[in-house]
Amino acid sequence: MNFYFFASPATFFRLAGAMAPMFFVLAAVSGAIGLYLGLAVAPTDAQQGEVYRVIFIHVPAAWMSMFIYLVMACYGAMTLAFNTRLAAMMARALAPTGAMFTFVALWTGAFWGRPTWGTYWVWDARLTSELVLFFLYGGFIALANAFEDPRRGDRAAALLALIGIVNLPIIYFSVQWWNTLHQGSSVSFKGTSMHVTMLWSMLLMAFSFWMYSAGAALVRCRTLILDRERRTRWVRALS
Amino acid sequence: MDHPFYLWMSYGATALALAAEIVALRVGRARARRAVEAERGLEEQD
Repeated sequence: MNFYFFASPATFFRLAGAMAPMFFVLAAVSGAIGLYLGLAVAPTDAQQGEVYRVIFIHVPAAWMSMFIYLVMACYGAMTLAFNTRLAAMMARALAPTGAMFTFVALWTGAFWGRPTWGTYWVWDARLTSELVLFFLYGGFIALANAFEDPRRGDRAAALLALIGIVNLPIIYFSVQWWNTLHQGSSVSFKGTSMHVTMLWSMLLMAFSFWMYSAGAALVRCRTLILDRERRTRWVRALS
Repeated sequence: MDHPFYLWMSYGATALALAAEIVALRVGRARARRAVEAERGLEEQD
């Protein structure tokens, strides 16, 4: 069995169909536990009060917005380098979920910013670069669908995804490079300053969003495969 | 500070966004299946 075996849409279609429900179940279970810990068990923050509980969706959504873009750009690179149909379809399948999480990160950030900073929005480096990420997702989706020939759309969008990857380090390091209103990371590979229940709740929610993204991308990719391969014998033979 | 308002607006919008995406996924899948069925019907006519 080689790499190209799984790159075949027919093989991937069946594999994705079997895996997607598993990802959704994992997302639901970890999300339920994460929400319970975050909303019912985690202590009230000494400075921010109850409103800090927005972080249990804001931070995981922001992580996913960047992670999904990175994965999408990797699929874009594979599309351009190997001209594989499946890589292009996976990049397309990830974009709407990435855009949704970017929107959630921006929206929840605004509703956290108002009571803590006194404003819904400020043209701060972190917020602005996250907004640019949202536009990049929008541009990717628009460009991918702008061509009559979907393979040309795939290649154009893949190129945009690769160019846009320069925005990811800007988002991540913006709080270090510039004097921003947005605070620095509370969690890093070196450790955390958070209460253990808060940390576990946030990590579980991040895992839940990750599993949801994988499930949603697989379902959307199956739809794209059906749409593009509907004239092939194997799709017509599907029950 | 009106904490419940900010929490509801955050969690509510997230739930709505997730629900909207799930509905869009189901609609897209149903549309693709109908297209396959239509293709199959054309083949049977031939």
